[in-house]
Amino acid sequence: MTEAQSTADAVTVSADPAAADRGIGGAAVSGERQLEVTSSKPSGGADAGARARQLAPLIGWMIGAGLLIASFGLLTQLYTGQVRTVTTIFTFVGLASAWNLIGGFTGYACFGQVGFFGLGGYATAVFMTHYGLDFWIALPLSAAIAAGFAALVGWPLLRLRGHYFAVATLGVAEGLREIVINLPNLTGGGGGITIPTAGADAPTPWLGNDGFYVLFLLLAATTVGVAGFVSRHRSGYALRAIHQDEEAAAAIGINTTKAKILAFAGSAALTSAIGSAYAFQQVTIFPERLFDVHLTVLMVVMVVLGGAGTVFGPVIGAVLIAYASEWLRQELPQGHSFALGGLIVIAVILLPQGISNYVRDGLREKRFSMLDNIRRYRL
Amino acid sequence: MNIRTLVVVCAALTVAAVGCRSKGDAVPAAAPTPEAEQKFLLGASLSLTGSLAREGGLTKEGYELCAKVVNDKGGVSVGGKTLKLDIQYQDDTSKPDTAAQLVDQFNDKGVKLILGPYGSATTEAAAAVIERNGQVMADSAGADDKIFQKNYRRTFAVLSPATQYAASMVQAISDLAQPKPKTFAFISADDGFSKTATKAAIERAKALGFVVVAEEYVPNATSDVSSALTKIKPLKPDVIVGSAHVVESIAIVRQSVELGVKPLAFAETIAPHTPDFVKTLGPASEGVLGSTQWTVKTAGKDKWFGSASDYAATFSKQFGGRAPAYQNAQATAACLALIIAAEKAGSVEPTKVRDEMAKLDEQTFFGPIKFSESGQNVVKAMSVVQIQNGHAVGVWPKDSAEAPLKWPGSAPDKG
Amino acid sequence: MNQFLQATIYGLLQGCMFGLVAVGFSLVWGVMHVINLAHGAFVLLGAYLAWQLHAAFGLDPFLGMLPAGIVLFAFGYALQRGLINLVVNAPIFITLLLTFGLELLLVNGLILVFTADYRSIPTTYAGRSFVLPGDIHIPFGRLIAAGGAIAVTSGLFYVIRRTRTGLAILATGMDRGAARLMGIGARHVYALTFGIAAGLAGMAGAAVGAVNTFSPADAGRYTLLSFVAAVLGGLGNTSGALIGGLLLGLVEAWGGQLLGGTWINAVAFAVLVLVLAIRPQGLVGKAYYASRVEV
Repeated sequence: MTEAQSTADAVTVSADPAAADRGIGGAAVSGERQLEVTSSKPSGGADAGARARQLAPLIGWMIGAGLLIASFGLLTQLYTGQVRTVTTIFTFVGLASAWNLIGGFTGYACFGQVGFFGLGGYATAVFMTHYGLDFWIALPLSAAIAAGFAALVGWPLLRLRGHYFAVATLGVAEGLREIVINLPNLTGGGGGITIPTAGADAPTPWLGNDGFYVLFLLLAATTVGVAGFVSRHRSGYALRAIHQDEEAAAAIGINTTKAKILAFAGSAALTSAIGSAYAFQQVTIFPERLFDVHLTVLMVVMVVLGGAGTVFGPVIGAVLIAYASEWLRQELPQGHSFALGGLIVIAVILLPQGISNYVRDGLREKRFSMLDNIRRYRL
Repeated sequence: MNIRTLVVVCAALTVAAVGCRSKGDAVPAAAPTPEAEQKFLLGASLSLTGSLAREGGLTKEGYELCAKVVNDKGGVSVGGKTLKLDIQYQDDTSKPDTAAQLVDQFNDKGVKLILGPYGSATTEAAAAVIERNGQVMADSAGADDKIFQKNYRRTFAVLSPATQYAASMVQAISDLAQPKPKTFAFISADDGFSKTATKAAIERAKALGFVVVAEEYVPNATSDVSSALTKIKPLKPDVIVGSAHVVESIAIVRQSVELGVKPLAFAETIAPHTPDFVKTLGPASEGVLGSTQWTVKTAGKDKWFGSASDYAATFSKQFGGRAPAYQNAQATAACLALIIAAEKAGSVEPTKVRDEMAKLDEQTFFGPIKFSESGQNVVKAMSVVQIQNGHAVGVWPKDSAEAPLKWPGSAPDKG
Repeated sequence: MNQFLQATIYGLLQGCMFGLVAVGFSLVWGVMHVINLAHGAFVLLGAYLAWQLHAAFGLDPFLGMLPAGIVLFAFGYALQRGLINLVVNAPIFITLLLTFGLELLLVNGLILVFTADYRSIPTTYAGRSFVLPGDIHIPFGRLIAAGGAIAVTSGLFYVIRRTRTGLAILATGMDRGAARLMGIGARHVYALTFGIAAGLAGMAGAAVGAVNTFSPADAGRYTLLSFVAAVLGGLGNTSGALIGGLLLGLVEAWGGQLLGGTWINAVAFAVLVLVLAIRPQGLVGKAYYASRVEV
């Protein structure tokens, strides 16, 4: 996109106005100049385009920082019930961004993401309850465990493609839940486990609604930051290459196995960190909630509708879907799931590439037709 | 320039706008409006959707009936004024974290008196928040003793605790069955409430001199308990006690018939009292024992609802001739407890109501309501019912029994 | 020993029922590369339909399999032709999300119409059992359901391999472009496939309704079960779902006996992950499907 613009800029800026008047000859000259510009390194008038390309990530970081500050400010404006709602939105922003690493950038649809969420949550709960570890130690420890587990499990499973990878990871997540249920002495089994948060037993005092708001905000910011860093770094380009054509990526020398496993492990660590914070926030956790398949599907919906493979896409998707789901639940106590289902169906058909990609493509091509999507993907 | 950035800037502005707007909106709600002063506001976060939707619906009916009867009789008289009872409902989608969030949201709106959700997990989550916020909750359907082992002071359960659910049936069999059976087998679902009930029942059985031959656990919400039954069959237990929810209980009886497991009787905790049980199992449900928080013969009356049978009549009239289930009754009882406490306190201020709840000692259509130190209603006994001719009739305790116990509960060659 | 034999036989019967539930799911995945997350909801629709017919006309649920299948075939055909065909060429996330949204719609629609009560279709004979020597019981209802599963799988095999329509479906599944060049209308064939799958799910639902208790919340479980059975058996083979279901039933039965009731599900998922790691094409599936890259 930027390249096309810079080419256009170059022609308008550097073309000799007199030459443009010369009719065919003039056109030939401008045409040559146009060819020249595209075939050689951008120079002169094309500098504007190059500068824009270099500045774009910086602007992205500034926007991210601005959002962070705005969210801190938001905290002072909200009442307790709303603080919890917005905290839930931050949770989903973090989860969606973490899933984006493996699902959006790399294109491997992991349907077992909630397994890492639950693993982190339960690991933290077990560490705090049975070993009296401080929460701030349990969190990174759980993340490390999740990353190790993901690397272990990812090594055989990342050989699978598409639907098979999805089903395999789903099996892993469900299997984790069943294992947790079957170790009642360690995890409380189906009855749940309670982290001691009051009195002398508690390794760390409960952070309070506001404290958790800040914690989840920072976790979400970290996850989005990691995504932002990866998207501009060589590793991000490697992942995108794997997504587009894995054989070609391997052919040009990318170690696809290493890249995939690192992405998987990183995504798992971030998800597990959020899970740890969630477990601490809930105090009493149950396997059905921490390993709920619907959470994974929600993550996927948020990333896809926001724009898979982009940095801010999952953020937008998470905010929109979480807010819509909460609003529907308050307004339509009986029919909100029904309405959410209808919303998802319509959104998926009309906006399969996600909002941020849709807006970007639309502004570039000056076409905002949603029917184009249908025409592209229908049989 | 980067268009993504533009979209994100819009999102940031929206977030900021939402932030600014919410403060403005919230101010009038937080201050007591004249309209709010004339209503006795209760908040109820219920499972209207999700896995507990059915039971949540029954609980909602109980709350609705309470509101209707109380308002028909004029309302709640608090501190010289008569207030109309108004219950605000929210859906917690059967998820504990949503239930907790809703309690916080009620607190923001100034609703401090809360009616409990359905189920032990959701009630536990809500109770933690109630304690932090200084609200008061009347628990209508969270029986697990775990909730009350955390030194909470602001949650009061009108229903008998989980430890009674299966143990009461064991006691009833010990008291009434002639000839007395010798061996018991226990099948339990794998959730906190069921496990608490099972462990307490096993203790009671051993204390009464029975032999416990098996203690099997089945996955939650499963409809296939064949592995547990196949293991129990060769041990030939006299009684099979199932501590589980409707699906597993139906599966236990039905698959026992299929697999040829023939005890003298089945005892399932909460399932037999539900209409689904008899409808689904047909003749196989005859003689199955169940435990319930309430029957139409439960002793006790109060000035709002009269006796248990009066309550049943009022309920039928309101809900199209249907007989009330115990979930309806326990919900109404929770609502009633809060009303009585508020009237006694002469105020809707949460701490005063809480103190009156702690001192409550009343007879109601639901039975006696008096709370222990930890907030459980330990003076109310559960009733044991048995399916006879397609209806659940009370058989124990003897003084509120409608019919004698039929023993053995199942015919030798059923099926 | 008798106990073990009883568990095995019961597990095989259960497995046949799993196969019946999963066969439509496997067909759609193999031919159209669409994972239908709403499959469990179709099963429930069939169950509720059979229940309604039983309540209104006293129709036996096993006979009710036929009308349930036909109604759901029409529903599935319309759904595919009208809705799912719009996203067939999209990346896999999109179809997954679409079917997930459909599942939400159908399940919650069922809750709104039928409430979340547990139901079952009572019959006088389904609970009775044959008794073999050694006190091994074979329940009638499950036996009939198992027989239905085998009949349906054989019928499907016959239709796919021996009729022109079936061959068209097979061809479209192998190479859609070439099939279209041969004059096969892919839109119609896809709709037909989805319709058949929905119809099979409906029939399974009627059988399930006679044997088990059901409520709208069970939809997710049936979908998950279809996943596992389809993967264990493998795609590209009409008997894949049945084989996978049988394996699942056996694994659950033996796991329950040897390890304890609550380990059943854990064992099933462990087997799933192992099979995918070692032999992704499943027991009888074609390797082509496992290594194919969805473009």
